[in-house]
Amino acid sequence: MYGVLLRADDVLRARPRLVRGGHHARRLMLLSILMILFAGFYGAVMGSYGGARWLQMLYSGIKAPLLFTATFMLSLPSFFVINTLFGLRHDFAESLRALVATQAGLTIVLASFAPFTVLWYVSFGSYDAAKMFNLFMFGVASISAQRLLHQFYQPLLERDPRHRTLLRIWLVIFAFVGIQMGWVLRPFVGNPVAPTQFFRDEAWGNAYVEVGQTLWRLASGS
Amino acid sequence: MMVKWIKQLDQIMRGDATRISVLREGRIEMPVGGLSIVVILLGVIYGLCMGSFAVIRTASTPEGVTNHAIQQMLASAVKLPLLFFLTLLVTFPSLYVFNALVGSRLSMVSVARLIVAMLGVTLAVLASLGPIVVFFALSTSSYPFMKLLNVAMATISGVLGLAFLVRTMHRLVMVQDQIDFPPPAPDNTDGDQTQEELDDSEAKSALDKIDWTTSRKATAVFKIWVVAFALVGTQMSWVLRPFIGSPDMPFAWLRVRESHFFHDVIKSLAELFGG
Repeated sequence: MYGVLLRADDVLRARPRLVRGGHHARRLMLLSILMILFAGFYGAVMGSYGGARWLQMLYSGIKAPLLFTATFMLSLPSFFVINTLFGLRHDFAESLRALVATQAGLTIVLASFAPFTVLWYVSFGSYDAAKMFNLFMFGVASISAQRLLHQFYQPLLERDPRHRTLLRIWLVIFAFVGIQMGWVLRPFVGNPVAPTQFFRDEAWGNAYVEVGQTLWRLASGS
Repeated sequence: MMVKWIKQLDQIMRGDATRISVLREGRIEMPVGGLSIVVILLGVIYGLCMGSFAVIRTASTPEGVTNHAIQQMLASAVKLPLLFFLTLLVTFPSLYVFNALVGSRLSMVSVARLIVAMLGVTLAVLASLGPIVVFFALSTSSYPFMKLLNVAMATISGVLGLAFLVRTMHRLVMVQDQIDFPPPAPDNTDGDQTQEELDDSEAKSALDKIDWTTSRKATAVFKIWVVAFALVGTQMSWVLRPFIGSPDMPFAWLRVRESHFFHDVIKSLAELFGG
């Protein structure tokens, strides 16, 4: 336990040895494990809305790491190809570690918000408010992780300014896939009135279509 | 065998195959046969990803996966590589003619190689976006969204592929300028950069920034040609539709001729938000 926290501290302080030097596979594994542990922890807390519902907590604890891992896996192939095209292939191993380290950092930040979430659940009853609060926490954690990302990427950026473009491309791909992944993996909080499920029964749906249609309805005033 | 061909594509993508030092001869040495097979395979992969929407959509209906859906997926897998090769067929003659008109020394074979390399870049990017398309196909029931998503993916890869082509063409022009008008011999010790050093300081990737000031009208011609290629490609994709397969229509290899690509994109946008 203490070891995990020490490693997490390394990530937060953006220790260069996490992304550079040898032990490539081992470091990647370590960072991934950290990510899964902390994301799982926050997921479990997220699922505790309306009292300790063990099943929902378990589901959310599985789904939160799944959200990050699946999004990462889906975005990686195109990132790899575009890196190659921009002539940054030789740095790819380091880029990959920087990205995984950032993911780990994001989930650690998120996990540190877990007490806020519990307090919110205890203080405010509304299911909608609970969902919005979690969305807000994810947003804050993502923005905080940007700082880490730039720290991990700093040596790469110094070596070749083209990494900046690649970083932007990565964020666009990752956000595009991640938003839909979050939508597909609902419910994370879980309405206590409805039966606990891993996935929603109704069709998975598309976040962008739903948001677009809602905006359209608002704009057209119907 | 396959590994060797993929390595060739990899070299093109890294920009190793189109370095100025390599292009100095005015020729492009790329074995095209194996590369074409890789290009076709990449096209088949993305075609399957595109057609997966039809299969996944019917899998959740009471009738289960229909034969039509599987046919659609296979048709897409065949039609996607076809799309690129037909576009090439339509645009190749004019590319070669313009290439000769502006005084390039590229032979027809070299132009063909260059184009295959461009297709390799385009389809590698497209295929790498395939997993994202399948994920959205899994989770989306909106047909207009899938159309627009695929249009976006094709645009991204097309832009990268054509950027690769324009840059390579530009380098070829630069190389020729060096041959036709050799720079004056350096007269002081500062200018003793050797040719090797010049090569080292050059582009490090397949998609480098171009110093347009040194380019001539040749690249302007190619930029116009690139626009033509893009337009032909979009129209060809419209002629060869359906790739995704409308849920309201039966399976068909080709649809009747009507409307055009951009009209449908706008219609899809309206359906997506309005409906």
